[in-house]
Amino acid sequence: MEPTKFQVKVYTKTGEIELEKLVPVFHQWIREKKIPDELLIDVADYAHVPQGPGVVLIGHQSDYYLDVADDRPGLLYSRKRGFDGDFQAGIDDAFRRALLACKMLEEESGLDFEFETSEVLFRVQDRLHAPNEESTYEAYEPALRRATSIFFGDSASFERVGGPREPFAVRIKTGANASVDETLARA
Amino acid sequence: MTSWKEQLGDRIPEPLAGEVDLFEGQIELKKQGKLDDKIFAETRLRRGVYGQRYDNGLRDDGTGQKPLDFPCGDLTKGPDTVWDAPGMMRIKIPFGKMTADQLDVLSELAEENSDSILHVTTRQDIQLHFIHIEESPDMMRRLAAVGITTREACGNSVRNVTACEYAGVCTTQAFDVTPYANAITQYLLGHPDVQDFGRKFKIAFSGCEDNPCGLVTFHDLGAVAHVRDGKRGFRVVVGGGLGAVPVQAKVLAEFCPEEELLPLAQAVSRVFARLGEKQSRARARIKFLVQKVGIEEFKRLVAEEREGLRPDERWTAFLDDLHSTDEKPIREPGALPSDAPLGFQKWAKHNLKPQAQEGYYTAIVKLPLGDFTSTQGRALADLAREFTGDAMRCTVEQNLAFRWLSGADAVAFYQRLDALHMAEPGAGTITDMTSCPGTDTCKLGISASRGVTGELRKRLTLVEDQLDPAVQRLRMKASGCFNSCGQHHAADIGFTGVSRQVGGRKVPHFNVVLGGQWTENAKSYGLVVGAVPSKNIPKAVELITQHYLENREGDESFQAFIARVGKKEFRKVLAPIQKPPSYEEDPSYYSDWGDPREYGIGDIGVGECAGEIVPFVEFGLQEAEQQLHDAQDALEAGQAAAAAKGGFTAMVTAAKALVRHLEVQVKDDADDVVSNFRTHLYDTEIFHDPFAKGKFANYLLKMHGDKSFEDANEETAHRALDEAQLFLEAAHACYQRLTQAASAAAAE
Ligand code: SF4
Repeated sequence: MEPTKFQVKVYTKTGEIELEKLVPVFHQWIREKKIPDELLIDVADYAHVPQGPGVVLIGHQSDYYLDVADDRPGLLYSRKRGFDGDFQAGIDDAFRRALLACKMLEEESGLDFEFETSEVLFRVQDRLHAPNEESTYEAYEPALRRATSIFFGDSASFERVGGPREPFAVRIKTGANASVDETLARA
Repeated sequence: MTSWKEQLGDRIPEPLAGEVDLFEGQIELKKQGKLDDKIFAETRLRRGVYGQRYDNGLRDDGTGQKPLDFPCGDLTKGPDTVWDAPGMMRIKIPFGKMTADQLDVLSELAEENSDSILHVTTRQDIQLHFIHIEESPDMMRRLAAVGITTREACGNSVRNVTACEYAGVCTTQAFDVTPYANAITQYLLGHPDVQDFGRKFKIAFSGCEDNPCGLVTFHDLGAVAHVRDGKRGFRVVVGGGLGAVPVQAKVLAEFCPEEELLPLAQAVSRVFARLGEKQSRARARIKFLVQKVGIEEFKRLVAEEREGLRPDERWTAFLDDLHSTDEKPIREPGALPSDAPLGFQKWAKHNLKPQAQEGYYTAIVKLPLGDFTSTQGRALADLAREFTGDAMRCTVEQNLAFRWLSGADAVAFYQRLDALHMAEPGAGTITDMTSCPGTDTCKLGISASRGVTGELRKRLTLVEDQLDPAVQRLRMKASGCFNSCGQHHAADIGFTGVSRQVGGRKVPHFNVVLGGQWTENAKSYGLVVGAVPSKNIPKAVELITQHYLENREGDESFQAFIARVGKKEFRKVLAPIQKPPSYEEDPSYYSDWGDPREYGIGDIGVGECAGEIVPFVEFGLQEAEQQLHDAQDALEAGQAAAAAKGGFTAMVTAAKALVRHLEVQVKDDADDVVSNFRTHLYDTEIFHDPFAKGKFANYLLKMHGDKSFEDANEETAHRALDEAQLFLEAAHACYQRLTQAASAAAAE
């Protein structure tokens, strides 16, 4: 299995987000190379699209969305290419990068963002290798369990979501309620 | 399965399968350094794999240009185009017709390879952005498996063939142009006679003369349906185009019988391939060839070419089954309910149009800036399956049309759209603006056309219910630069991105273009009224519409009002908002809508007195602007020769200002100015535009040489003024480059 095209979405605590505030923040991240091991390229602003990808920080290896799909804003980390490691490491890395980006957003003065860790969404944007079906779930479940235990402990419950035309997706109730900082600290 | 090629197998039809394999092979060869940059660039363009902003590996982050260190090192995918840099894929959707299965696959690609957004273009294509070139072959395979090719979507080829979104269901059409648009698409795709063009070639079909959907007059080749003595045929026009200098197409054939349409298009293609300009891209569109030889000679050349064509059974084979492209409704027809909810009524007012077929309607899904998400795409595909069948069309106004909606289903359809947040009312009104990508993703963008469009949409949507119906009806369009992809020339109020130098800094502006005509297939184009700082564009719209409402006579239309009062009056209206405040007063003017970076500031240093001293050259450029405005007034007053002469004078004045800026002694007479301009600015390439090269300078040199302004008619005077406008823009840009270079030298 290819360790790419993994997505992790961490939801914000507040339901209302002023997306336009993200635009200068993401531009600043590019300017200041805030994510040192990633090449950040540009900002795509889709705030005008309801329930859309919101504001996207486009990178070479990964994109970072402040996504408002399903009317549930959250930080969506999306790995596109270039991961140098095995499958498990790829999944662990996706969770770590998503949480690190959440932490960075929480630390941005003027944004007033807070993320919750009780629920996360995991997706694979690769219908060839990971169609949204039970066999994919069976193949991913052990690695997902390991990744969630690193960050959230051992009481996570999983539910495969979406239909066959949608990307493979697992809703994870983590059973945890720690802050992003604490979550990262325990990993 | 390990690859899409294996997975899809023979669902990828030939010859597409072989073509994609070949392209994949060329990608490998390029990576091994075995293919020339230029050849590879044209190869990928012909496959719809396009460049995107910053793909030269540099990006101005607001404090200066910084390298983007892509891991590919020196590997490029064309001249100055870094391999790893994200690009755009343009996906041809002939006449915008899309099936539910196609929309499903497009949505999958949007989320797997792009950023989950599908973008409808003004030529009925779908574009996906931020694509890595190495993912493109598999994307093409997945598209091919549902009958879509990206072949010849870009490059010097026949682009997507467009047609009215109402073709076949329209109440005013002569007949359904769909089978003809389909036939020409299939016939010319990959045809040997269209492989050697110097530039792109755009074809459009319209079902009637009066309605705007086809917009044939600004296409390289346009066909308008007519029935003569019971026989089907087309009025065929050629050599139209927007771009830097908009040109109305000329009539090639008043009535081309249906069986002659394909051979005529082939003959035109052969003439274009044989005689069209190949060296200078700036003059390579067919409109320049038609202008050069004259329409009568062009007709003769085409007729001669047609005579010599070897007959091809495909010319008429499609006529045997003109119903092959028909859509079959999947629901029984029905009447609209009389007690529909209010929200529905508001939406239906502009978004629902009765079809020629009783009991059926075409519903327009209004897309913000032409965008929708992959999730919405799948849901729309479901709506098509449930209510209309495979009868969706992308529209030139960047929306989606669902045809064959039964009146009985209209409310349910609306409610489903509403649940998707896609039931925005006001299709075809002032809130339904179109825009090109502009500085968001286009390499040539000067100003943020999407940014300003988004801002106007937001503001106007809040007040749309209070707007006077005459204002509601106006169409607004924005282009990020003079290339006019946003089709702003054909709008009541159009905007085109330009930049201006103010106190040593650049300020994003838009030229306001008024009086373009969308109706009658975009019968006339607007003229520039003046440049307004980008941040004042919402105010400009307010002032223009207010002035119209306060001064119109009775229920005079905007078009009639502009024609009566002239653009001169609107220049007075805009004058108070044309000068931006100094940077110290309001720095927000020095960045563009939706982009907090300081606009194009690059490495410019700001001198102590930069905000106060107006250099001599700026006076000269301002004087030239005034002369151009006067010339436009002359044109409005019907004085074509005086107008053209004024355009020429404005260019000479701007040239003189620049020559003097280089500290060269120059006299006031035009000969001396032009001679010095040629020596010091043209031959040295200082005036050259980074992309258009010497194109704009040539407007002056040519007009000075042939004195064409002396016997100008209305059309040539109009063109002369357009050229003068572009020359002035280039003069401003040249001055900015000189200032930058001087600042950089001073800093060193
Ligand atoms: S008009 Fe200019 S900015 Fe807009 S898409 Fe065309 S080339 Fe790009």
